[in-house]
Amino acid sequence: CTGMSRVYVMADKSTLLKVILLGDGGVGKSSLMNRYVSNKFDTHLFHTIGVEFLNKELEVDGRRVTLQIWDTAGQERFRSLRTPFYRGSDCCLLTFSVDDSQSFLNLNLWRKEFVYYADVKEPESFPFVILGNKIDVSGRQVAKEEAQRWCCENGGHPYFETSAKDATNIVEAFEEVARRVIASDDKQEPLLSTHTVELRRKSRSDPSCC
Amino acid sequence: LPKVIFEHEGVFIHLNTDELEDQDSLISGFLRIVDKDGEIFVEYKPLEDTVDPSNMLCACKDSSSVVEWIQRPHRPVDQQLSYETEWDMVNTVSFKRKVYSNGEGVSNHLNERTKWAFSFNVADLRSVTVKCEGWSYLVFCLRDDATLPALHFHQGGSQAFLDGLRKLVQLGESPEDENVFLVGTYYKAFSQSFENLLDDTNYGLVQVREVLMGKTPGSKLHFECCGKFKKDPYTTTLGGLSKVTNFLFDAFRQSESECQQRPAEEMVDLLGELIPGLEINQQEEPGFEVITRVDLGPRPEVHRSGPVMMEDWAKHQDLEGRVFNVSRLKHLIFKGGLCHALRKEAWKFLLGYYPWDSTHEERKNLQKRKTDEYFRMKLQWKSVSEEQEKRNSRLRDYKSLIGVCTNAHQHLTLAILVYMVYVQYCTDVGYVQGMSDLLSPILYVLEHEVDAFWCFVSFMDQMHENFEEQMQGMKAQLVQLSTLLRLLDLAFWNYLEAQDSGYLYFCFRWLLIRFKRELHFQDVLRLWEVMWTGLPCQNVHLLVCCAILDSEKQKIMDRHYGFNEILKHINELSMKLDIEEILIKSEAIYMQIRNCKDLPPSVSEILGLNTVTHSLALEPCQEYGMLESPHNSPRPQHRQDQDFSNGHGLLQDTPHNRWKTNFIS
Repeated sequence: CTGMSRVYVMADKSTLLKVILLGDGGVGKSSLMNRYVSNKFDTHLFHTIGVEFLNKELEVDGRRVTLQIWDTAGQERFRSLRTPFYRGSDCCLLTFSVDDSQSFLNLNLWRKEFVYYADVKEPESFPFVILGNKIDVSGRQVAKEEAQRWCCENGGHPYFETSAKDATNIVEAFEEVARRVIASDDKQEPLLSTHTVELRRKSRSDPSCC
Repeated sequence: LPKVIFEHEGVFIHLNTDELEDQDSLISGFLRIVDKDGEIFVEYKPLEDTVDPSNMLCACKDSSSVVEWIQRPHRPVDQQLSYETEWDMVNTVSFKRKVYSNGEGVSNHLNERTKWAFSFNVADLRSVTVKCEGWSYLVFCLRDDATLPALHFHQGGSQAFLDGLRKLVQLGESPEDENVFLVGTYYKAFSQSFENLLDDTNYGLVQVREVLMGKTPGSKLHFECCGKFKKDPYTTTLGGLSKVTNFLFDAFRQSESECQQRPAEEMVDLLGELIPGLEINQQEEPGFEVITRVDLGPRPEVHRSGPVMMEDWAKHQDLEGRVFNVSRLKHLIFKGGLCHALRKEAWKFLLGYYPWDSTHEERKNLQKRKTDEYFRMKLQWKSVSEEQEKRNSRLRDYKSLIGVCTNAHQHLTLAILVYMVYVQYCTDVGYVQGMSDLLSPILYVLEHEVDAFWCFVSFMDQMHENFEEQMQGMKAQLVQLSTLLRLLDLAFWNYLEAQDSGYLYFCFRWLLIRFKRELHFQDVLRLWEVMWTGLPCQNVHLLVCCAILDSEKQKIMDRHYGFNEILKHINELSMKLDIEEILIKSEAIYMQIRNCKDLPPSVSEILGLNTVTHSLALEPCQEYGMLESPHNSPRPQHRQDQDFSNGHGLLQDTPHNRWKTNFIS
């Protein structure tokens, strides 16, 4: 990216999008984040303790945004320490591991927890994106169709099958996140944005939402 | 005044419980057990209440029906007020949330909320129904058959509540319904014996296990209702275990200085709310005084020495192997740490596995006993896990997955074994993320399955409060750290507070695993052995936090870091810290605090500065007057050292029955 566009991003306050990764411990939340942000994968990554976040700039449909990706500790007892950070999220990535059916079943709980603590006003229209990670691992327990059905029945959320290890579908998933947020912003109100953005938007056709 | 015996926040009433919808209107509140002049009450009160005590409704003890709730009639108003004020103080730190009800808007009306408050005398309690719906919820039924609204424990705590209740009343499983506990004859007792607790394995408890070393009073019965651990502890543990295998890689891990970009903008209104369960700033605990500016005086200069070498260590042992002049030896370790070759031996003493005054012979016997005990447990684990394996494909998967790794590295097998046996030994804690961080350095140093196991047990004995289900230990430490920070630099603390960071959440990882991920592996070993000396005072890890923050505070304030940036900045200190600098600063801060004349009592208490033993340890020059010739006066009777080394007993002295058979279904 050019220096010009970076300045442009800095000037536009509305383009920082907070995205939060939730899901059971060990499904690969940190690996997904690291793969996306640094394009690295570490088999021996630690369990996350507390919360961490990384930023990543990207351009979707002609719009520059900065994703602020929050990674959390998935284990039950750390709940009271992660939930305060849900607030202000623009999108929630619900994550499970396709080789762990329990982690899939727990998506409901994670969604509930998020909606509750993030103080989401309209859970039906809030952008969730669902990730079924570890498709590189053998011994799959959750079928793709099963996961798709869940996404369909729970608000028509987009579903991505990913492998942080093989870098499968990671970029696609996070770009979809950005698209969803932008789309839901556009729906709710005309984006409050800087002059520059307006010009930019006029020059492009509106991103069609999926 | 009423005494609060138990308190838990984050207990909810669902207003539309018949539908299992997200759209349930939720009322969030506190559940308390309160002792009022010897009578025990259970009280529930929603958050966001007014202070007006008349809003507090309760079921009067002698009322015939709870349906006719009346205002508490038998308390003088002033007592009520003081009680309410105390209660309200807690309320002020509550988190606020809007309930997304279906146009009901219940939460917006105080009156609507307050009507859900209730209180009853436990003598009026007939039964408690315990159910699980992804979380636990309890329903109280009183003796007049009135049923109170179900209380949902979305943030856990139902077990702790039942444990608390169990100390006050007898709860027996109903013959008709295993989810129902009938209240037996009411008796006021904290005297219920541990045996009773152990025998009482009803209400779906999976495991009953004495707390490590039998140390914690009223050892907790423990279960995680919706956690995976209950369903399949071994599989869960194995899943976690694949993380233990990090330790080898971890040992040689380089510091990766990843250039992450700072957030260009700070999120606005991110933490407008306080953290449920972790509100420490505004909450003035009883006896937690407000620290006003205290003149601390200058920070003295501190020097450190080189590590204790093999010959230094040998000089402190008599012919039969007893270590003498332990306090001097500890002081040397405190000042310089241990050379690596010595760690394998010395850590066993520092961690309390070996008594300092034991002979070679006694240690050999101890090790033999401990080896037997260890392998008994291991055998049991193996038999259980093999049985399970037949039925559980997932366990097989994990095992094979781990097997792949373990073939390559002998050590990894060891890590897994030690860990599995530990879970066997103490399922009270189970596997919690972060524990593997505490195991890996010990395993790395001791290179011995049995020794590593028992040393790990000792270390966990110090640390297990960090891993409690409700995280009380962590919360308490954050409160203490906050107290220290306020003393050391009120301006900085105020800055943090203004950035919604006064609860010091960003120190969570530091405390949970004792800086394991902040320092290079070799530096972790140094820090831990220094801390294990128990010098210069208790809770020295909090001073370490203060030392690190002291080095960062100017940067944080000058750059006007906000909530996100502070968190990010602290997270990114990992692997960039200088251990010697930190140790010097920690000690200097300690000296500075100790020299302060008007030290707030809370600070003295945190650091344990009132005890006589410490003044001994602090005057090394006088205490170790015979530095030159320690052999002239061997003093093997330094028993008091053990008291302030790690604060726990020796393995040798613990009762045999602490290890109890564990049934996995």
